[in-house]
Order: sequence, then structure tokens, then C-alpha cells
Amino acid sequence: MENYGLFLGCNIPFKAPDIEQSFRKALPALGIGLEDLEGASCCPAWGTAPSFDKPTWCAVSGRNITLAEDRGIDLVTGCNSCYGILSEAKHFMDAHPELKKKANELLAHAGREYKGTSEIYHVSQVLHEMVGPEKIKQNIKYDLEGLKVAVQPGCHQLWPSDAYKIKEDNPYEPTQLRELAEALGASAPHYSRLSSCCGMGGMRTADVEKSLGLFAEKMRSIIEELDPDIIVTTCSSCFLQFDMSQPILQERGLIPKSVPVFYYTQLLALAMGFDPKEVAAISKTPREDIIKEIQSEKRLVKEVA
Amino acid sequence: MAIQLSKDKIDEAINTIIEYGGDGIQRCVQCGACSSVCPGVQAGFPVLCRLLIKKLQDGLLEDIIEEQSSWGCQNCNRCTEVCPQGVRPQEVVIAFRRYQANELAFSTSTVSAQMQLHDIGHAVFTEAGELREGVGLPGKAPTSAYNEKAQEEIQAILDNSPMAELGLF
Ligand code: SF4
Ligand code: SF4
Repeated sequence: MENYGLFLGCNIPFKAPDIEQSFRKALPALGIGLEDLEGASCCPAWGTAPSFDKPTWCAVSGRNITLAEDRGIDLVTGCNSCYGILSEAKHFMDAHPELKKKANELLAHAGREYKGTSEIYHVSQVLHEMVGPEKIKQNIKYDLEGLKVAVQPGCHQLWPSDAYKIKEDNPYEPTQLRELAEALGASAPHYSRLSSCCGMGGMRTADVEKSLGLFAEKMRSIIEELDPDIIVTTCSSCFLQFDMSQPILQERGLIPKSVPVFYYTQLLALAMGFDPKEVAAISKTPREDIIKEIQSEKRLVKEVA
Repeated sequence: MAIQLSKDKIDEAINTIIEYGGDGIQRCVQCGACSSVCPGVQAGFPVLCRLLIKKLQDGLLEDIIEEQSSWGCQNCNRCTEVCPQGVRPQEVVIAFRRYQANELAFSTSTVSAQMQLHDIGHAVFTEAGELREGVGLPGKAPTSAYNEKAQEEIQAILDNSPMAELGLF
């Protein structure tokens, strides 16, 4: 089993721990071992150190990366913001020795040194590249055939592609998450705003109405073009936007209905037969009915233990 | 009225942005590719990407210090991906934001995030013990939030950084 250091960030452990639980259940069952990176902190989020000073950002990110370096393993995260921030910090430090030196001067105060020996991966990349859709297909207990999924990969695993260890062939037409959804038996068609921003992040903090405006456009594209049964994302920030803002849009009459939303590993864990009370327990946009539908008798794939 | 460009103001603006990490600014040819893909511009934050760079190239650094568009930037780097000149416009935007932040021209609502990052290592934190136990996880996540040594390390980094001089923590 290949081991990775699990970098949790802030959103997942404190707001959506059912997503964390879905990593801990589904990944080891597919041959991916997870080691806790004890004492890991915030990535740090774009609105904090990166908005003040580049070397300070790189030092705080660098400290997190050293936790994986100490163990001689690569790091995996399920938060797109963390993935973007850590990957970019690494990209800049590895390319610019003077920046790395400045970051290491700060890290020396913490008794640490960033070396650059651990890679940064996103959970979805590990599932797509290291596990692969075939193996996922072989390990599901419930088949999602007939269900239509709208995918939302999220900005910070697409751009800037030069900072990322594994990239889409064309980040404006991403296919990895579609393939992962299809591995569960579902269909995952393209829609026109597939790679559009959901409006979460700095924008939501700066101006919630502008953020909701962008999100409403995206939701209307999803509903009008696909009318999907499920929205699936591999970004915890996107997950929170889709989950907490759909009820607001519905209340204002800006969308005709809400669509149940899952982080990809939640859908995967449900398809693998794990307990929804552990892997998909927390949401504002209702999803009980679709969970029952997913884990129904008729979808049971008999030959899988 | 035509804008009076002053060489001193232009040099000061360009040098400030370069100093804060936006060294691609001089390569921008104002083609506008970045703004055409920018979700911030689309959502209604006008002074991002091309227009922000234009204002800075014209030396209007201090004149736009209160401009809020930079804080609507998602740091999504669509602009970086499409720029034919290798400017990395997002780096220019965030360099301008660093200038604003270091002049304390930012929303006071973000101060608590800086304090939390300093104190427990998390910008976003809520006591989630019950929520975590409810889904079968230990109440305390294995992060800096519950790890004194980790907190000391983070404080050692931040206390020695330029951020400490702003009196945010
Ligand atoms: S990084 Fe910021 S400026 Fe660039 S495209 Fe994204 S929102 Fe616009
Ligand atoms: S795409 Fe590049 S060159 Fe064109 S306006 Fe934007 S920053 Fe300037």
C-alpha cells in the first residue's frame, strides 16, 4: 500500500468532517494508505499570509510540507485552496532559490527547513492516476447507472497548470472528475459552465451578493442544460458554496429546485457501501432521498463482496 | 481631463508591485485576455487583471489604494494560464493587495482570521468536537489546533515576519 500524508486544512476537519471520514474509509480500501500529519496548520488561506508577504506565505506552507518531508512521503489534500496554495508555494520556492532562502530563514525560527522532497497531490488526482477508474469500478457495491451527475472540479486544481504535479490535458475542458464519476456507473455529461468559478472564496468574503450572482449563473446552466440528479465536486470550498447557497437561491426564486451535492469521495464511499451516517451526514441542501436511492437493493452489484 | 503621467509615480508604482512579488507587470501589453476569463471581472469587480495593471502602469498606485476589486480576486489563476506575455496577472493583483494590506487598506473583518492563524494555526476554526464524533472521528483533529508545539512553531514564524510589524496579532 502506498502511503500519503493527509493534509486536512481547515474547512474539512471543522465544517465537513464527513468528507474527512469518506477519505479515511474509501482511500485505504482502494490501496491508498493515509498518515496523519500531526500539527499541520492552515495552508495558509489566500486572505491571510499570502495577502501580506510572499516569503511568510511560503514559510507557513513550507512548514506544512516539511511534516510530510520528515516522514519521507508525499502529501495529499482534498481542499482545492490548500492544494493550490501548497503547490504554488512549492513551485515558487523550487524555482526561486532566493525565495526559498527567505522562507527558510523564517522556518529556522521554528527549527525547520523546507527541502522540496515531497510532492503535493490532490485526492482526486490520487484516485484518478494512482488508483484509476478501472479499480474503482471493480470495488463498488452499488452501481450508479442511470443517474446523471454535474461535475465541479474547482479552480484550484486546474490553474495555474505549471504549478501542479498532475494536470488535465486541457484545464478549460477538464475530464478527470467526469471519468471518476463515470467509474461509479453514472453519466457525467459536459455542460457549458463546467469550468466556471462557483463564487466561493475571497469573492464571497468581499461581496456576498456578487458571489451569489456568479453562483446563480452556474446553477442555472447546470439545471437548464443537464437537470442532473447529483452535483459532485472535489473542492471542499465549492462543496460549501453549492450546499449552503442553493437554499438561498431557491428562497429568492432564482433557481427552480435544488440539486443534492456531494464531495466525490462521499459519493464513492456510498457506492462502496459505507455508512451514510459517517461519510455523508452533514448538509444543508437535502440529500437523504438520493442517498437511499444510491444504496438501494436494486443497485447492489452482486459479484462484489 | 487627461491623466497626467508622472515618471516618478510610475516608477514608484512599478517598483512597489515588483517588490511585493508582481515582477511580470512590465511585460503586460494590455491585450485583455486575462480580463476576458476573470470571474472577478465577470462578477462585477472591475479593477482586476488588465485594468488594474493599466492603472499601475500609469502610476496610480496610491490613487486606488481603497479599491476593493483586488479583494474579490479568487486567486484562481485563469489569467495566469491565458496571458500570452507570461505576466502572471494574479501575482500582480495579489502584489497590489499586499501593498494595500501593508498600508492597512483592507477590511477589518479579516483581522480575526490573522489572529486565529497566529494563535492556533487556523484561519477558519470552529470547535467541532461533537460534529466530528457524530461521524465517528476523534473529537480533536490531528492539527495545530490541538498541538502546542505546532502553535509555537507557527508563532515563531509569524512573529519574525513583516506581518508582525502591522500589529495584527
Ligand atoms: S486570479 Fe484573480 S484576477 Fe486572475 S482570473 Fe482569477 S479572479 Fe481574476
Ligand atoms: S493577458 Fe497578460 S498581457 Fe494581456 S492584458 Fe492580461 S496581463 Fe496584460
